[in-house]
Amino acid sequence: MFDIEIRNHLFIPSEFSIPANTKIKLVVYNRDATPEEFESYELNREKVITGNRKATIFIGPLPAGEYPFFGEFYPETAQGKIIAE
Amino acid sequence: MLLNSVIIILREVLEAALLISVLLVLTQSLERSFRWVSWALLSGMIGAMVYAIGIDAISEWFDGVGQEVVNALLQAGIFSLIAVTMVLLPRQLYTRESGRLLAFVMILTVALVLTREGAEVTIYLYGFLRGSDQLFRVLLGAAIGASIGVSASVLFYYTLRNLSKRRTIGIGVVVLMLVGSGMALQAAQLLIQADWLPARLPIWDSSGWISETSVTGQLLYALIGYEATPTAIQAGFQFGGLLLLAIVFLVCQWRYRATTRLIVDS
Repeated sequence: MFDIEIRNHLFIPSEFSIPANTKIKLVVYNRDATPEEFESYELNREKVITGNRKATIFIGPLPAGEYPFFGEFYPETAQGKIIAE
Repeated sequence: MLLNSVIIILREVLEAALLISVLLVLTQSLERSFRWVSWALLSGMIGAMVYAIGIDAISEWFDGVGQEVVNALLQAGIFSLIAVTMVLLPRQLYTRESGRLLAFVMILTVALVLTREGAEVTIYLYGFLRGSDQLFRVLLGAAIGASIGVSASVLFYYTLRNLSKRRTIGIGVVVLMLVGSGMALQAAQLLIQADWLPARLPIWDSSGWISETSVTGQLLYALIGYEATPTAIQAGFQFGGLLLLAIVFLVCQWRYRATTRLIVDS
């Protein structure tokens, strides 16, 4: 299980590694009062997380590589990357 | 913020507006009343509001994957309604039936699409309503995005309408089938995300040809639910869904053609 946070429209941490070819459970805590949408074309994932809530997202199994994700509502700052290795 | 708002709203509006314009052009070709549209828009907007208000509670359902499950159910509902449309359309083509049932099915279809797409827009905009200095730019962006989406659909509507009736109906039916198969693919995708369907490695990667972030990719997403890296289950749902809709339509059409003469003719 992996936990990340959204704070001031930033993902913390914005980069983290997961094992390749393994399904993982990611929990995203939105510490802002505003809603955000976790989105990634590379991961095929999309989920709304309203203010001060958390969301569970299952990810993978992924071949080794880099998978960017972003906050669709605040993409100028909310950017991150998952590294499968 | 402005450009982002344009993109978000355009994406959601385009998907709904494209489907509405196909249903409208079919209604027009069958010479049926457009009255169903206002009911569809009204019920869709109510649906979107209810979904947006209930999003926190819904997200908690099924151990935190309520959003995925509800969205998958909405997509599955749209697919089923399109399948019912495939049954009803041939009858409309060959008989002078009133078309009230078809109008009702179209209302439900559009209501479900608007519930899904509209809820996201509502949540996004509502986030800025509470004392954000970005509000004006976000609303302006939303208006621009919505206008582009609606314009594209109006253009699509008139392009289809200007063809011969037979061709209009033919293309309209095929587009509906493609939209339906995209719904099946997206439903599978959401159930994979919820861990209700097994996650597997993608069977191909077409992002080098058509990136999901490109304009073509976005248009294809709105039309057929395009995924650059689908898994076997997703591809199976899409092709299976398309095949099912095509068989349903062709069987129903064949049944009516055997007994009656085509009324709509150009």
